[in-house]
Amino acid sequence: MIGPEKPRSPAAPPAANKRGVSMTMVLVLIVMSIVALMLVVCVTVFSHQYESATVQNAKTSSGQAVAQVVNTVQSYTEDMNEVMALLTGAMQDATADPGDFMSAFLQMRPDVIAVTAYDAAGTLQSCWAEGRQPKADILRNLSFDGAAAGTAANHYISAPHVETIFDGYYPWVVTMAARLPGGGGAAWVALDLSFTGISSYISNVGIGQHGYCFLMDANGTIIYHPQQQLIYSGLKSEDTARLATLQDGTYTDASVIYCLQGVPGSNWRVVGVSYLDELVTGNVLAMVRILLLLAALLLAVALLVSWIVSSVLSSPLHRLSTAMAEFEQDAGRFSYQPVKGAREVRNLSDSFGHMVLRIQRLMATVREEEVNLRKTELKALQAQINPHFLYNTLDSIAWMCERGRNADAVQMVHALARLFRISISKGHELIPIRKELEHAESYLQIQKYRYKNQFEYTFTVDPACLDYLCNKITLQPIIENAICHGLELMVEEGHIAVKVEEAGQDILLSVTDNGVGMTAEQVDAMLKREPSDRTGIGIKNVNDRLRIYFGEPYGLHITSEPDVGTCVEIRMPKVREGEYENK
Amino acid sequence: MKTNKYRGFLCLALALTMALLAGCAGGAGAAAGGEKHRVTIVAKSTQTEFWRSVFAGAEAAATEYNLELTVTGPETEEDYLAQNQMVTQAVEEGAEVLVFSAIDYEKSAAAIDAAAAAGAKIVTIDSNVDSAASRTYIGTDNYAAGQMAARAALACGQAELRVGLVNYDKNSANGQERERAVRDALAEVPGATVVAGINVPAEAARAQAGTAKMLAQHPEINVLIAFNEPTSVGAARALSERKLGDSVWMVGFDSNVETIDMLQTGVVDALIVQNPYAMGYLGVESAYKLVAGQAGELAATVDTATTIVNRENMFTIDSQKVLFAFE
Repeated sequence: MIGPEKPRSPAAPPAANKRGVSMTMVLVLIVMSIVALMLVVCVTVFSHQYESATVQNAKTSSGQAVAQVVNTVQSYTEDMNEVMALLTGAMQDATADPGDFMSAFLQMRPDVIAVTAYDAAGTLQSCWAEGRQPKADILRNLSFDGAAAGTAANHYISAPHVETIFDGYYPWVVTMAARLPGGGGAAWVALDLSFTGISSYISNVGIGQHGYCFLMDANGTIIYHPQQQLIYSGLKSEDTARLATLQDGTYTDASVIYCLQGVPGSNWRVVGVSYLDELVTGNVLAMVRILLLLAALLLAVALLVSWIVSSVLSSPLHRLSTAMAEFEQDAGRFSYQPVKGAREVRNLSDSFGHMVLRIQRLMATVREEEVNLRKTELKALQAQINPHFLYNTLDSIAWMCERGRNADAVQMVHALARLFRISISKGHELIPIRKELEHAESYLQIQKYRYKNQFEYTFTVDPACLDYLCNKITLQPIIENAICHGLELMVEEGHIAVKVEEAGQDILLSVTDNGVGMTAEQVDAMLKREPSDRTGIGIKNVNDRLRIYFGEPYGLHITSEPDVGTCVEIRMPKVREGEYENK
Repeated sequence: MKTNKYRGFLCLALALTMALLAGCAGGAGAAAGGEKHRVTIVAKSTQTEFWRSVFAGAEAAATEYNLELTVTGPETEEDYLAQNQMVTQAVEEGAEVLVFSAIDYEKSAAAIDAAAAAGAKIVTIDSNVDSAASRTYIGTDNYAAGQMAARAALACGQAELRVGLVNYDKNSANGQERERAVRDALAEVPGATVVAGINVPAEAARAQAGTAKMLAQHPEINVLIAFNEPTSVGAARALSERKLGDSVWMVGFDSNVETIDMLQTGVVDALIVQNPYAMGYLGVESAYKLVAGQAGELAATVDTATTIVNRENMFTIDSQKVLFAFE
């Protein structure tokens, strides 16, 4: 088995995975954008729904609060009617003294501040009040309104006012005055009912956080407002003119909800005012906050998921692609490690592993075949050349014998024998340099006799190099080339110098002649020329064998200059006996 | 390696998410804190109708803005030491905002500064204090109110005005400001002279005694001006006692059952009525704005409206609303 070779041409670095978007990135982006989109939709829909629901709620609660106020105010006015019926009955009862009835009635009803009776001209005739007497000199009596009485059919209800007929006692009251039928002494009876119950009730009605209720009449005049001191001093205002034009119902105006409802049996209307921003905005904000929290949570989950996906799918794929890139760089030495991950990735990885093994096996086969081809070619060429060389040499020996130069003939025969022995070398391709030099010297000896000492040769050898191996028949074709193409045509004496030396980790063999030399084109052509009968084992064959055995940086390097000479350098690694197989 | 870069990116994203979560949780926590804010009113008195009306307004605002309101005030309207002590105590008890009305413009400044240094926010109503810590002053424009009083005095119809002034504590900024306005206004009127001026404690009985003495010393007085509710009541009583109700034109401040009674009988001829309800309400509303982070909306001074009430307009519906509080 022949060892792996160095790659012929290093693959281009894998540039594809530096560009584009990674799978993890795509997944993260997809998940994030889906989550973000869903959240935006959710938040929008939710907050919209929530807002409208809350607005509806706010309207409902506002309506309920107002309805309660209306009920209370209505029962107040109804109560007033009932009391008035009682009073008119008592006043018209000629059999009894109204004073007795009044004192009993006033004790029963502490919220009745005063009952007054007036003649047709509106002059105060009598006044009943629990524990109080009217002032002797009343500046202005607000409990009877002559103008209102004039237009009223049977009775009227006043707006709330202050009781002005007593000394040091000014409660807020509502007056109901009723006409007394018949021609008795009193034409009108007026009932002053305390308003503080209603006012404190209305003051305490709250809608939402800041909302409140107030009372106005049909014209929009405020009858009672919890903050009427603020309104009076201009620090607060109610747009009652506009409210008076509205029908009963609920209205939303920017951030304020108005709820209007009339009090049956009077021209009073209850207005509920509440604020959307505090009711709705607060709730919606809380909702949005919860949703944002949810969003963050979802985002975290999405990131976690993409992390997992990345570690299960993307990073094994990435490892696989790295392995492929390494394989591309150095297919021969690549050793494959299976990649763990999802089933699909494992399948992919296994297939790749099989492919690697297959390719490596094929590569080994191809290399082996190539080596065999060269060997066969070498043998064939040896078989081809040897006869010519042999005839010529034998002719020379015969000629020597004829001339009686027996000693020279013996030397020639020995040289010829050594040449053949070494070139066979038991079929080994690699032989020690010592042997290769012997082979070269034998060849030179023979050729020197044949060319009748037309040239000289010298060997300069570093003894440390002798035991390293080299391809057999490396020097001989080069020397042959030097003699045939360099020296044969020369008139003066030629010279061939063979040199062996160490060059770092390599060994450098060189054959230098002072022959006619070659142009660069000729050198190039020589390295490509196929062997022919004439040239024997070509220089190309030598170069090819070196490359097959030792790889790209090794082989022949020819420098030549016409009319100066040629130098062929042979570079090969230091290889000792038995070492080559391990490399 | 590339993988490491993405791990870094993921870590960063996760950290950001966590920060967002924490932020949301924090925001939710702050919003959920439903503890009521604590506001304390340190008034000048708790007895007069004026102050009861202030408290009514304050309580209305406290209910509306969901605040825990504490109302305190000294027994007499001269006891600034007690007031200073109440300020200190209120801060110790955890009041976040003090709604303060200074008996003494200068002598309460240190206590208020100390309270502000301890973290309490200060709102002044009715009577300001000599401290930069007060964020807003809500009350009557006292000089304008004094000018109104002078105008009401000039309406007496006499050619020669011999004016007697009954003012309260000399250290109160409000009373001095009103008196200054009256003196400035009368100085411009030919025939009007301020013949006497007294300062009495803000109690009706003491004011009555002081006024009686002044009237005895200066029988020529035909116009009497009193500068707050107790002095008005006292001065009116003195006039009534000496049967001078018709001959002396009296202008008082603020509404009280007694002065209103005497307004009808003619002893009192005009009342300058402030708006204590608005002071209380707006004072507490400002306190809310301070703790709710809306301090930017506060004006340095808010003038609550002042009205002249006389026999003719006292029973119009608007005057009724100003004079007579709903209970």
